[in-house]
Amino acid sequence: MVDISLTVNDRLYEISIDENMRLIDVLRDELGLIGTKEGCGEGECGACTVIMDGEIVNSCLVMGFQANGSNIVTIEGLKKDGKLHPVQRAYIEAGAVQCGFCIPGMVLATKALLDKNPNPSDEEIREGISGNLCRCTGYNKMLVATKKAMVYMKGE
Amino acid sequence: MKLNMVGKNIIRVDAEAKVTGEALYPQDIYLDNMVYGKTVRSTKPHAYIKVDIREAEKVDGVLKVFTYKDVPNKNEHGVVLKDHEVFASRKAIRVGEPIAFIVAETVRACEEAYRKIRIDYEELPAVFDPIEAMKEDAPKIHGDSNIIYHYKLRRGDIEEGKKKSKYIVENVYKSPMVEHAFLQPEAGLAYVEEDGTVVVVIATQYPHYDREEVAINLGLPEEKVKIINTNVGGAFGAREDITAQIHLALAAMVLKRPVKVIYSREESFLAHSKRHPMIMKYKTGADENGYLQYMEAEIIGDAGAHCSWAMNVLRKAGVHATGPYVIPHVKVDSYAVYTNNPFTGAMRGFGATQVPIAHEQQMDALAEKLGMNPIEFRMKNIFRKGSITATGQVLVDSVPLDRCIEAVDKSFKFSQLWKEGK
Amino acid sequence: MKKRGIGIGVSFYGTGYGNGFPDISRAKARLLPGGRIGIYCGVTEVGQGAKTAMIQIGAEILGLTEKDIDLIHEDTSLMPDSGTAAATRQTYNTGNAIKIACENLRSKLFEKAKVELGLNSTAGLVLDSGEVVLSIFPQKRISFKSLSEIYKDEIIEAEGEFVAQTTTMDPETGQGAPYWPYTFNACAVEVEVDTNTGIVNLLRATFAQDAGRAVNPHLLEGQMDGGFAMALGYALFEDLKLEKGVIKNNRFSKYLIPTAMDMIDVEKIIIEDPEMTAPYGAKGIGEPVIIPIAPAILNAIYNAIGIRITELPVTPENLMKAIREAGVNK
Repeated sequence: MVDISLTVNDRLYEISIDENMRLIDVLRDELGLIGTKEGCGEGECGACTVIMDGEIVNSCLVMGFQANGSNIVTIEGLKKDGKLHPVQRAYIEAGAVQCGFCIPGMVLATKALLDKNPNPSDEEIREGISGNLCRCTGYNKMLVATKKAMVYMKGE
Repeated sequence: MKLNMVGKNIIRVDAEAKVTGEALYPQDIYLDNMVYGKTVRSTKPHAYIKVDIREAEKVDGVLKVFTYKDVPNKNEHGVVLKDHEVFASRKAIRVGEPIAFIVAETVRACEEAYRKIRIDYEELPAVFDPIEAMKEDAPKIHGDSNIIYHYKLRRGDIEEGKKKSKYIVENVYKSPMVEHAFLQPEAGLAYVEEDGTVVVVIATQYPHYDREEVAINLGLPEEKVKIINTNVGGAFGAREDITAQIHLALAAMVLKRPVKVIYSREESFLAHSKRHPMIMKYKTGADENGYLQYMEAEIIGDAGAHCSWAMNVLRKAGVHATGPYVIPHVKVDSYAVYTNNPFTGAMRGFGATQVPIAHEQQMDALAEKLGMNPIEFRMKNIFRKGSITATGQVLVDSVPLDRCIEAVDKSFKFSQLWKEGK
Repeated sequence: MKKRGIGIGVSFYGTGYGNGFPDISRAKARLLPGGRIGIYCGVTEVGQGAKTAMIQIGAEILGLTEKDIDLIHEDTSLMPDSGTAAATRQTYNTGNAIKIACENLRSKLFEKAKVELGLNSTAGLVLDSGEVVLSIFPQKRISFKSLSEIYKDEIIEAEGEFVAQTTTMDPETGQGAPYWPYTFNACAVEVEVDTNTGIVNLLRATFAQDAGRAVNPHLLEGQMDGGFAMALGYALFEDLKLEKGVIKNNRFSKYLIPTAMDMIDVEKIIIEDPEMTAPYGAKGIGEPVIIPIAPAILNAIYNAIGIRITELPVTPENLMKAIREAGVNK
């Protein structure tokens, strides 16, 4: 067992975990944050994307102990005071959600993209979410959503 | 007709739960006192098997290893033919076929027990090519013949059609086996309610079918089985056949504890069906004016080791083999064939996604011979309101294929570009 | 050398179980406490949008919005069997069952309203925003909420069942009406083929899909984009590498499905031509949307380089092989 402390969605957790645990296991099994999904276990699909110290990571490729001292945002951390994050709102309005399993990771990847580049081109959006696989939507409505979110985020 | 709701871009009612991470899929559900399952699967495509679970059951934390001997009623399931075993008994017929289901207090104990399961395989000759499998002396997967189904479509007189055809195009096309690759790997859990009702929580395309299968296997009346269908992380046909439902229900019923299983991506590839690969031999003829006169096709579909929807898929391929065209003389033979390949079943388009690889290229090849624009050639031959299909069906209503083609042509400027390209 | 080409694919698709097999959808609609409506139906939301589309159809009949209806569709002990979420059958088959159930519930609500409003007949009663209203004298009205309170000890509920029509085909000739209705579509694409690398790039696409009537155009467009992407993988990338019954490409690092970088913007055109037997004319489109794309890509490759590819997928490796073989044959 190993003791770690990490901040998840603005809350500090000090926990003792098995050293074999991946970050995704810590989030889901220990903290109950089941919005983070596992789609492949090898960092290819992006369903387990979380934001760690400002960067998107595949939480299936990060060991739990490696997250010691880090600041993590999961999908549960985007809605603040009952208000959806602009990216969440845009995804809903653009019809970018189908089965939903890729969506937590996709929304976080989109947020991370827009935080760094508030005016991405279509190509930059495609590249920004290219680490996240979706089998339902063909991604085009996600481009629409990202452009909507760009406008919403500027308005805030 | 003035409509207030139909035709409107109503925002998906399930969208908010999905963007906030609140939407639950089976892997997201945790119950008190829950234990975990792991499936042991065949690594050989065709072999007699002997399974020794004794060492695995001794592993600390292991509650039980289930095999075919533990299935209370029928050890079989299947959407059309009951040719899947819940657990392979005597013989494994494909790689990935379930042989045992380990249940333990922890995932780690499951993994340890998994390594201690001993399976002796006595390998049998196997067949992987459906054309080989159709031969009389081929190894048999089930019963006396590997040919599951033969669909015949006959309309008009092929010889007459050939005579009238100035241009004939002949080709063999092959479409591949395809994986659905939905993002949510199979997962589920089962538990028993106070009154003895067995509840299976799963992501499925057809909960009432799952209930029927589980009830039959466990020997329970249907009202004592309940399926809870959670959010479904994509399906595309791959969640029609049974995967973990029966294993989970059986384990929960016997152990009286909630049992959960989550498949890895690699196991998901093994667990569900694939798209039928097809070999499609086509001959298509048109007269000098560009009207289709005949089409002859032989379609062989690889069902793999279980029938699943093979008959229905090859039937659908046969019915759709002409494409959306009026052809007076048609002969189609489609076959569904067992092999020792991974089993194939429903996947988006269900046989009708394979045949257009052939018929649409045949159309372009004929148009080229006629010196016609592919759209002009199609417009001469397509189904319209009142057309009769090769099966003799009258298309009485809602046949706007002409409008689809015209809309594409206009916006894409297909005909204009084609003309300029010449 | 980079060469461009255009190609078209068209298709028809017969929806439903087919071939005379009983294809039955069932639904129940019930007045709930507080005046909400519950629709009980075994329709599965696999991501295609069935839940939303089914609620839209129910809401249309009952003069409500999507916010006034609860769809109970997860527990087999609570909902009637509506068949499988497959065969492109939910919008048409289950949509019809829900429409019938809601029409039957409407009749029951009219009967109750007639009594409560002291009317002689249900003629002229209409539903508007959760109320039963006498159209010729709108002051005569009663809300669903009031009805649910007055009849709180009685279940006001109605069932709906729809059975699709097909015939069993003759076993020797295949003659019959195996599917109904059929859905149609057409797609044109432009590709660029690099004859040095075998890479095929999509440049442009226009895709027209017949829907009978679009219940929800945004959902329909989402299906078209998704079908297009899946077809793109089918045509150009996806290879399981099956060797002696073993899937070698058994994970996403080896079995490549399209990413956002591989997809292109698709011009989507919805063609409406209501089908007389369908709910508001709406036919299913879930499977058809994958069908014409791969053939269009293959025809465009031929148009670009003059080689007819008869085997999928057209991976760079396979295309280079075909180019070499065509060169040898010339």
